Amino acid sequence: MNLKTYVEFYELLERNKVSREENRTFGLATEAISFSPFKQIVQWVEQYKSRLEQPSLSEKFSSYLYGITFTLVIGSFFLGLFSGVGLLSYSGHEPVNVIYFIAMVVLLPLTTMTFTLITMFKTHSTQPFLVHLSPAFWMEKLLQFLPRKLEVSVENFKVNPLLAQWLIIKRSQLLALVFSLGLLLALLGMVVTKDIAFAWSTTLQVSPQEFHSLVYSLAFAWRELFPWAVPSVELIEQSQYFRLGEKLNVQMVDNASKLGEWWKFLAFATLFYALLLRFMVWLLSLWGFRYALLKSFLSLEGSAKLLREMNEPIITTTPKQLNSIPTESHIQTSQSEDVLSSSYSKTLGWSLTLEELHLLNDSMGVESTEVFEVGGNNSLEQDTQVASHAKGEVLFYVKSWEPPTMDFVDFIEELTEVTSRVTLVPVGTVEEQYLAKPHEIEMWGKKLQLMGNRKVWLKR
Amino acid sequence: MNEIHPKFAVVGHPNKGKSSIVSTLAFDDSVYISSIPGSTQKKQSFPLKVDGNILYELFDTPGFQRARRVLAWLQKHNVSADKRADVVRNFIEIHRDDERFNDEVELLEPIMAGAGIIYVVDASKPYSEEYEAQMEVLRWTGQPSMALINHISESDYSQEWKRALGHYFKMVRTFNPMKATFRQHLLLLESIAQMKEEWVAPVGESIKLFKQYHEQMFERSARNITQLLYKSLSYKEQLSIAQEDAIQEERESIALNYQMHLRSLEETSQKEIKKIWNHQHLQTDQALLRFKGTDLFSKESASIFGLTRKELLVTAATGGAMTGAGIDIILGGSTLLLGSAIGALVGGTGAFFGFNELSEVKVLGQNLGKHYLEMGPMENKNFPYILLGRAIYHATTVANRSHALREVATFSMDSTFKEKWLNEALRKSLEQQHNAFRSGKEIEPKELAKYEVLIREVLNHLVVK
Repeated sequence: MNLKTYVEFYELLERNKVSREENRTFGLATEAISFSPFKQIVQWVEQYKSRLEQPSLSEKFSSYLYGITFTLVIGSFFLGLFSGVGLLSYSGHEPVNVIYFIAMVVLLPLTTMTFTLITMFKTHSTQPFLVHLSPAFWMEKLLQFLPRKLEVSVENFKVNPLLAQWLIIKRSQLLALVFSLGLLLALLGMVVTKDIAFAWSTTLQVSPQEFHSLVYSLAFAWRELFPWAVPSVELIEQSQYFRLGEKLNVQMVDNASKLGEWWKFLAFATLFYALLLRFMVWLLSLWGFRYALLKSFLSLEGSAKLLREMNEPIITTTPKQLNSIPTESHIQTSQSEDVLSSSYSKTLGWSLTLEELHLLNDSMGVESTEVFEVGGNNSLEQDTQVASHAKGEVLFYVKSWEPPTMDFVDFIEELTEVTSRVTLVPVGTVEEQYLAKPHEIEMWGKKLQLMGNRKVWLKR
Repeated sequence: MNEIHPKFAVVGHPNKGKSSIVSTLAFDDSVYISSIPGSTQKKQSFPLKVDGNILYELFDTPGFQRARRVLAWLQKHNVSADKRADVVRNFIEIHRDDERFNDEVELLEPIMAGAGIIYVVDASKPYSEEYEAQMEVLRWTGQPSMALINHISESDYSQEWKRALGHYFKMVRTFNPMKATFRQHLLLLESIAQMKEEWVAPVGESIKLFKQYHEQMFERSARNITQLLYKSLSYKEQLSIAQEDAIQEERESIALNYQMHLRSLEETSQKEIKKIWNHQHLQTDQALLRFKGTDLFSKESASIFGLTRKELLVTAATGGAMTGAGIDIILGGSTLLLGSAIGALVGGTGAFFGFNELSEVKVLGQNLGKHYLEMGPMENKNFPYILLGRAIYHATTVANRSHALREVATFSMDSTFKEKWLNEALRKSLEQQHNAFRSGKEIEPKELAKYEVLIREVLNHLVVK
């Protein structure tokens, strides 16, 4: 798990590279770890990262971040080195004041580490706290000066604020660590290559005993194991330096060989405060970064959806292919009439009883010599017989609400072979007083339109 | 593929609601439903798949067209009852390429392949003996069967239908696909399973999954609405400007862009809601957002979904936002929402809110001398309730809509809608979250989850189960 995986995860979600079905298949394959969403996500990224176009955003982002970090690390190291050399430069006219170096390797690390710890505890607040003090914070700002092409590709990628804060904290600690390493190397280098006379000097009224007590306290971590790396009261007395008159104390000159002993204390102070403690804070920042990364994975937009897709069954009811929608024919127009004739050679009713047919004829004022019931429970032979004996104009009642079937169409075809004209009259239910509804008449009209039989007319 | 899963063929006379029933049972509005008889010309399978495994399969089939001829053909074969299914198979085999019997072959095929028969009739019209040929043909197949009484219109002839159907089917149930609730849907599935003992367990499993599926729909809808609110309230629109200060046109431009973005968020959310509830084919009579002409930023939307002046003041006081600026925004906004218009804005839609009432337009220039305008996050106290009200209204309308309905959906406004879901306690809870959303700070997933729970409860209350 690292930032690269996080960016890959972001890119996979953003580019929508994996289908719902694949996610579910993956979820079923990793059911054993479904209790740990984070593990599932990391495995998912591993499985599908090969689908990202090369070079991927994660590679570009990581390489940039690496480049900038590397540059800053080198810079910090040399800054530390040159700062150390500067602090320890000794012209031979006056000794090197150890207070400067102690401030650099003890006071500065303790102060910045305190700020860092406060920042760590405050990372839950949504606004960055104290991270602006960190040089690593400005790394982000440096990204704005990236070449345009890369800027475009990374500017849309927004690191989770929590993760961004921990990233800054982590990298700040690394830079501080490297800076301190530069200081230590400067100290060792200067000690090896030069004969440095260390001294201490302050305007404050501090006696050698008091200063010893301070130094002794600072050396609490190593004074038992390495007592020779703690300056004695005698050394402190001998190395106190007053600038007045720009002349070296006679006592100092006499003990010049002993003044160099200070380097052991300074080296241990650097090792302990600037390196060891910083290293521990760096480890803490790694742990915090990991925690932030874990939270960021789960809070990334799309991650909840992904987990749902992995762990919830796909339920579908849709067919693979939908039937084509039939198009309506407009080639023919149905023939209709508004008024019925007063008499017809024959009256037929499709699935209507004889009583109903007589009643209908009476109500419509129609006379008919013969009335027959067709369709319904009639056999096909019975219908054929009725059709074959028909002639002239036929009045044909149908139930308006019953869609015409091919059974009916077959009969009409038979009927129109021997008759001159068939007038279809859709009738409603008894409750509707046999009045057909407009949409039902419309439905019959459409059917007749499709049939295209010129002998069939519709009573509207 | 599991071939022994239960199958059900929905059969009947043309235009009696077979496709509507399939559409409802399949939770799918892609089934082609037409008022023209004979629209379904090929059988179509609607398998309920869970992770690719079919739990059961529904077949939408064409209606009977020449039932009497088929029956006449079958009856020519004087065979004992145990051989009748073979005669039907023989009929299919012989007439597979006969266009006259295309519909009968299509509907009989799944039945002879083991599908249970769901015979659909419309009991809003009188029974007719012409149906008897169809039922007789189905009886020849020897497959388990049930009759389903549908009501396409209001009249009721159920009793005469039940008397007739009782002669042919052991089980007769009533089901209106247009009005059926989710619970009725599951009850019907339970009934269907009773047709054959072996089907009880797999259909029972399907019912469990459907329940789970239904719960998922609620969860996903609540999540979707939560995201809509969060994204809309926290959104910041930016616009680069040439000068140190913005000209009026630039201010108007950023305000319009800001509104357009919020509209597009709402549109995307509504599309997703339709997808969640399997209503992708749902047509609306206006553009998605319009709610019959009621734009997100219109006076009508505000008066229907927004809070009253009194509610706004109480809510703001509760939310701890009773600052001078806050009051200005609240009063300014609500006054405008009640009808006074501000001029000077391009187009009319934004006038009822007023740009300044949505959010302040700030000129920023920290970015190495580049100057730009920024609008957002949303400051207007009423807007979240308008947006949320519309989202909930849309989601409940879609969720309550039958998959069998094909007419264009109309989102008719109901001024009492707000009373159905928003009470004082809920308003207080929502306001806290709205303040957090508009703070511009990153919101913890658990905070969003709290909001989801509130929305989920509202949907549970409003969606008929």
